[in-house]
Amino acid sequence: MTQSIKTLPRLSLSRYAIDPAIFLVATGCIVLLVIGGIVYPSFLSPGYLLQQLQIASFLGVIAAGATLVILLGYIDLSVPSAITAVAVLTTTVGGSSNPEIAVLAIPVGLVGGALIGLINGIGVAIFRLPSMVWTLAINSMLMGALVFFTGGFKPRGVTPPLSITLALDRTLGIPNAFLFWIAVILGVSLLLRRTIYGRYVFATGNSEKAVFLSGIRVRLVTVLTFVAAGVFTAIGAILLAGYANQAYQGMGDTYLMPVITAVVIGGTSILGGCGSYAGTVVGALFITLLSSILSVLQMPEAFRQIVFGAIILTMLLMRRFDRSNR
Amino acid sequence: MSNTSRLIELSGITKTYGPVTALKNVDFSCAAGTIHAILGENGAGKSTLMKLLAGVIVPTAGEIRLDGNAIHFAGPRDAADNGLVCMFQELSLMPNLTVGNNIVLSRPQSRFGFLCRSGYQEARACLDRIGAGKIALDCPVHELTLAERQLVEIAKALYQKPRLLILDEATSALGADAVEKVFSVVRELRDAGTCVLFISHRFHEVHSLADKISVFRNGSHVQTFAAGAVDHDGIVALMIGQSLEQLFPPPRKPIAESVAPLLSVRDMSWADELKDVNFDVRPGEIYGLGGLEGHGQQRVLEAVFGVLRGVSGRVEIGGKPFGRRTPFRSKSEEIGIAFIPEDRKTEGMIPSMSITDNMRLAGLGRDGLLTQDNQVREAHYKALLHRLDLVYGSLEDPVASLSGGNQQKVLLSKWLALNPRCILLLDPTRGIDVKTKAQIYQLLSDLAEAGMAIVLQSTDYEELVHLCDRVAVFYHGSIARELSGEMLTPTNLISAAMGLSGIAHATEAAA
Repeated sequence: MTQSIKTLPRLSLSRYAIDPAIFLVATGCIVLLVIGGIVYPSFLSPGYLLQQLQIASFLGVIAAGATLVILLGYIDLSVPSAITAVAVLTTTVGGSSNPEIAVLAIPVGLVGGALIGLINGIGVAIFRLPSMVWTLAINSMLMGALVFFTGGFKPRGVTPPLSITLALDRTLGIPNAFLFWIAVILGVSLLLRRTIYGRYVFATGNSEKAVFLSGIRVRLVTVLTFVAAGVFTAIGAILLAGYANQAYQGMGDTYLMPVITAVVIGGTSILGGCGSYAGTVVGALFITLLSSILSVLQMPEAFRQIVFGAIILTMLLMRRFDRSNR
Repeated sequence: MSNTSRLIELSGITKTYGPVTALKNVDFSCAAGTIHAILGENGAGKSTLMKLLAGVIVPTAGEIRLDGNAIHFAGPRDAADNGLVCMFQELSLMPNLTVGNNIVLSRPQSRFGFLCRSGYQEARACLDRIGAGKIALDCPVHELTLAERQLVEIAKALYQKPRLLILDEATSALGADAVEKVFSVVRELRDAGTCVLFISHRFHEVHSLADKISVFRNGSHVQTFAAGAVDHDGIVALMIGQSLEQLFPPPRKPIAESVAPLLSVRDMSWADELKDVNFDVRPGEIYGLGGLEGHGQQRVLEAVFGVLRGVSGRVEIGGKPFGRRTPFRSKSEEIGIAFIPEDRKTEGMIPSMSITDNMRLAGLGRDGLLTQDNQVREAHYKALLHRLDLVYGSLEDPVASLSGGNQQKVLLSKWLALNPRCILLLDPTRGIDVKTKAQIYQLLSDLAEAGMAIVLQSTDYEELVHLCDRVAVFYHGSIARELSGEMLTPTNLISAAMGLSGIAHATEAAA
């Protein structure tokens, strides 16, 4: 009788913030820095570290989309071709001789990314095909379309000035790309924790059926998530085009594995429903540092790939996902 | 008959799952050549006991003796090799394999690693024996009805030539004829020296079959006695440890025929499972949907809520047609339907999420995209939890940490806070303890008094008789009979559910 509840608890941040995986990966980053510092003392110079942050930003922004998709319980394997496609699209429009069209380069690139996401979302949510198969097929089709469009040669075009400013320039000595990433981190964290959409993403990742039966438009949530992922990929692609000051065939190919690795080692369950963008951020930093150390150690590319794979497996083994429903 | 030696003996058996004790210090034995019924409320520990005997789980403490020798089972296959075979309540057939393969693979007979054909003949014989002659061995299991699958399960258990056969709710989906056939086989087995442990919630089955009865309550073995030694009421008192008087709220005043219905369903059909279903529910009424499992009563509610695709027919809410139904539209304020699904764990809630998050799930997004909560609804949640007397540690605990009854309370709060006009419930008291049942019945009764239209699908006849104003009994996808007032009795419900009262279906039922 006297038992009364004053207020129902707010969404508790603690439940999502205390994730051992994040500590684990953060410790890993520190270990890498120490090793790097011993092997190659200038590794710890501010200039070098800021450059690492700059490179990690591209990965982190692209992985923001992947985090949303994976939290929802799906996967997006169309990232590599989407990056290349958006970069080529943006630089091609940017290279238009008509300045009024050239100005539209970045918006066109973003819309392109959103469209790729929309197609992915429709396949997964409406046609209900497994995301792994659907997005892989889309990846392949985009790749073919790109070769057809460019004739297999390096596409001609001009990188929009804004993307160069964002990707290469610095403000007060800090890379703009990193500042932009911080904005993305804040935005995505708010989206996941403070909005109803975020609640839906976590709930759907846990049990799509229960969410559907709660009268929630699951298909809409799924399509929106893929569109958002497409837009994040597009932003990343535009930054990468600015960083390289060009778009080229296969520029996204090296990103698929790192993007998924960053999400998964950051504590997000590959089966969906639990995790955080903070984890992905730490994961992206870890992978960037790791890759940098491997090149400092003059590790060949082939071996680097093996290490990436080994790390995914190690992290998964250490975490042993604990999904209550099977 | 019962003075044969003890086949299996349990002494001091305790089984705990973390902090939960499923069985505590149980001593139990059963003898060859008897049919031994195990009775108890849900959660009394019956299923845990059966799982121990079938080798699925191992006891935390205590000893199992088979023929007087202590024994430890490495797994179900090991137990089956010792002649202990369990037919589980949750059907354990592999849906994509054929009937024959499902049966034969339970005890493969092989030579040099190749399966012998002879197994299939035996499987055929087992099916024929229990009167399932028309089930073909090469038919994939997923094409069978629930009742046919149950028969295959029983045949599979027989095929393993058990010394101890455990039938856990083995006949829950079977009609009276089929049940009688199965029982005659069970009696033959008993006479051949098999010990049969029998779990059923149908008292008349227990009375007609059992030689001995053991009652379990809260994980303890309460009493074992010869069948007939204790009468029906005495057994119920032993099972629940209290009398049944206050289970159901007092009857409500009937709603006048002239009151306009809130929910009308007209000519609803869906696939092969629903045929021209028509009914009206008036505000203030509890409308029951009964019938044997799988005759369409669950489907109707899913169709009304908008879960199924390709439903024909019309639904009207408050006199206005409600087309293009989806769960999202159903819960909107102008429609106001709430839906409590059948399977709490996978459909009703997200087990790993907290109590509050689960509760808020249906209400989220009603007030735009950014406002997270609405003060009125938050107050409503609190009031409901208090009203339903939810027992919990912290509201931030995962909802899976609650007992089944308390989970159902959370699920009810989740929907009632939306102020629905009409609530559809699928077997809301399945697997729930008596005290919570009584609370839920009282709540439903109060909601009806307050003018809500309630549609209650249930497999529990008592519930339909004591709680509902009118009950529609389903048979083969349509309403065979609508019972109300004096006509609403368990006997009429059962005969209608078997298709006996409907003239059109009288011949079909005999088939």
